[in-house]
Amino acid sequence: MNIRAFFAILLCKLLRGISRVLHRGGTAMPGRWALKLCPNLLEILARDVKTVAITGTNGKTTSARMIEQAFAQQGLSYFANRSGANLISGITTEFVMNSSLGGKCRKEYAVIECDEAAAVRVFGQLKPRVIVVTNLFRDQLDRYGEVTHTLENIRSGISGAPEAVLCLNADCSLTASLADDLPNRAVFFGINQGAVPSGEKSELSDASHCIRCKHEYSYDYITYGHLGGFRCPHCGYRRHDPEYAVTDVTAQTAEGSSIILSVHGKRYLAEVNLPALYNVYNAAGAVAAVSEMGLATESAVAAVGSFKCGFGRMEQFALGAGGTKMMLVKNPAGCNQVIEFLENIKEKFVLVVCLNDRGADGTDISWIWDANFEGLTKMAGALEKVIVSGDRAADMAVRIKYAGVKAEFIEIERDYETLVRWIEGQDRPVFLMPTYTAMLELRETVIRHCGGDEFWV
Amino acid sequence: MKLKICHLYPDVLNLYGDGGNIRCLTQRLRWRGIDSEVVKMPIGSGESLVDCDLVFIGGGQDFEQQVLLDDLHRGRDRELRAAVEDGMTVLAICGGYQMLGNYYETHDGQRCDFIGALDLYTVGAKKRMIGNYLFRCDESLGGMTVVGFENHSGKTRLGSGVAPLGTVIRGFGNNGEDGTEGARYKNVFGCYCHGPMLPKNPAFADLLLSTALARRYGAAELAPLDDALERMAHDQMVKRLGGDV
Repeated sequence: MNIRAFFAILLCKLLRGISRVLHRGGTAMPGRWALKLCPNLLEILARDVKTVAITGTNGKTTSARMIEQAFAQQGLSYFANRSGANLISGITTEFVMNSSLGGKCRKEYAVIECDEAAAVRVFGQLKPRVIVVTNLFRDQLDRYGEVTHTLENIRSGISGAPEAVLCLNADCSLTASLADDLPNRAVFFGINQGAVPSGEKSELSDASHCIRCKHEYSYDYITYGHLGGFRCPHCGYRRHDPEYAVTDVTAQTAEGSSIILSVHGKRYLAEVNLPALYNVYNAAGAVAAVSEMGLATESAVAAVGSFKCGFGRMEQFALGAGGTKMMLVKNPAGCNQVIEFLENIKEKFVLVVCLNDRGADGTDISWIWDANFEGLTKMAGALEKVIVSGDRAADMAVRIKYAGVKAEFIEIERDYETLVRWIEGQDRPVFLMPTYTAMLELRETVIRHCGGDEFWV
Repeated sequence: MKLKICHLYPDVLNLYGDGGNIRCLTQRLRWRGIDSEVVKMPIGSGESLVDCDLVFIGGGQDFEQQVLLDDLHRGRDRELRAAVEDGMTVLAICGGYQMLGNYYETHDGQRCDFIGALDLYTVGAKKRMIGNYLFRCDESLGGMTVVGFENHSGKTRLGSGVAPLGTVIRGFGNNGEDGTEGARYKNVFGCYCHGPMLPKNPAFADLLLSTALARRYGAAELAPLDDALERMAHDQMVKRLGGDV
């Protein structure tokens, strides 16, 4: 190890220590300074660590928690970037904190979620054993640009790690295309035809035309968004049969899903302990990743039924007599899944939507018009009222009004403290739908009232 | 009364929530007891624009542009030009706005012919013009302020045959240089305003509706609506951008 790396590690540890003393998260800043001092620091530290990296638009954090649970159950020595600091700076900080001053990592394994735009810088240094790409949807167009641009970023990142085994979503035509022009070995996960009733083809598909030849895809079935059994009638590009295939979803409740997972032809019964179909994909991807790391598939199957995600992802709080669930939303695809989940709730409930437009949320909030808030009008009898909050509360109120919810059911409450106090007095269940930075603030307020973890624990 | 609204190319020009403009128009008609019919005309649709009252064209991704051009050049371009000359009410945003112009030239000099319904052209720049922005419409449109989100790399220049839609107060507008935003010609309104534009600029939405209704029915008085939420969204962005409410 060189002297630059030594000082970079020292600096990073010092900065992190100081920010902890000052009660600031300090997840990204120390790594940023360390990388300035030693640009290939991550490569040096990651060299002997067996890493699983997870990228893609939706489901990174949840997939990482599932994989981590399998590692924990097997008693492996591992660490993870759990606080959502998923750019190269945050990932570097995490590696430094798990390494000695001499640059030797104390853990054998790592579970690293990586921002899709950061993949291009991270993967070449990280050299993961396994890379999971969950899916690609339109997300924060102001930051990432078009979805095909994000795909190219990931492709170029992976080209720096040719030894990595790719675990790709077979049902996402964009993600699956990564297998074709990279030298990496690739396996696929997906939901097979007939496992769930086919959804309808969305007019707002993020990938309606063939990534290879630009002709319109035909679909044998659709799970949600542009995911499903796609095929191009012109050039023949089509869904691969996944090695990790969900062949049946036998039950879906507000608590989770029961699925049958076929792995290289062997059938496993798995309970996914988070609701909604997108978590079935996350589970299949996690099982693929753990298995491709050379670990027992059984442990991964058990992990998807016992992991704890938290951090705003269908996270349950003992706030108010009816309980409070926090469901992070970031883009139309994820938001639609949450709305669909709410459509299945039969008891009376209150919905709180918090819309921010800061850097990490995306400064362009137009995506709320691509999400199917019209679904709220199908909740008549269950949805008691909608409270909107956040920096762009009024825009959210307008969106919900034009979806067809009468203005008298929509209330604006900008102050989180007042909001949380009000929820405390409710006997109905309350569902919170915040964007990322709203989630951080709102979660902190909720935890102050009813307890929970600080985010970097 | 009834308006027939055409959503042109909803399959490829569907970025940044622009479809919300259609939702806004139909709801504001419905709340006033006026019927509407939305006709979607995707790529390959043979349906005619002729009996439509209002055409909406949104913005799209570069990825699908060639598919779109092929379709335009199969006759849709002629039809659009004729409709514009005939006084059709059109709202065109971003890519849809550029498409109505004469051509688009990439920053390395490749030219792509558009339909020439409006006397303007667009040249690609390296730096994207992104962010919340604010402009004031021409006095002939009552001088109303419009807020939205722009996100484009093309710089649009207006020819002598069209008037700017408004003057930029904060942001870039057509090109970030001459202070103009959008273009207006007959009953065509083109600009870079995503957001989507109409829900938080209800006066502009009503301007489009009354223009279309007047063409179909001679005159149109629109009953006032309770726009308290819409105005709040509008005014907050005006304030954030340092304009006067």
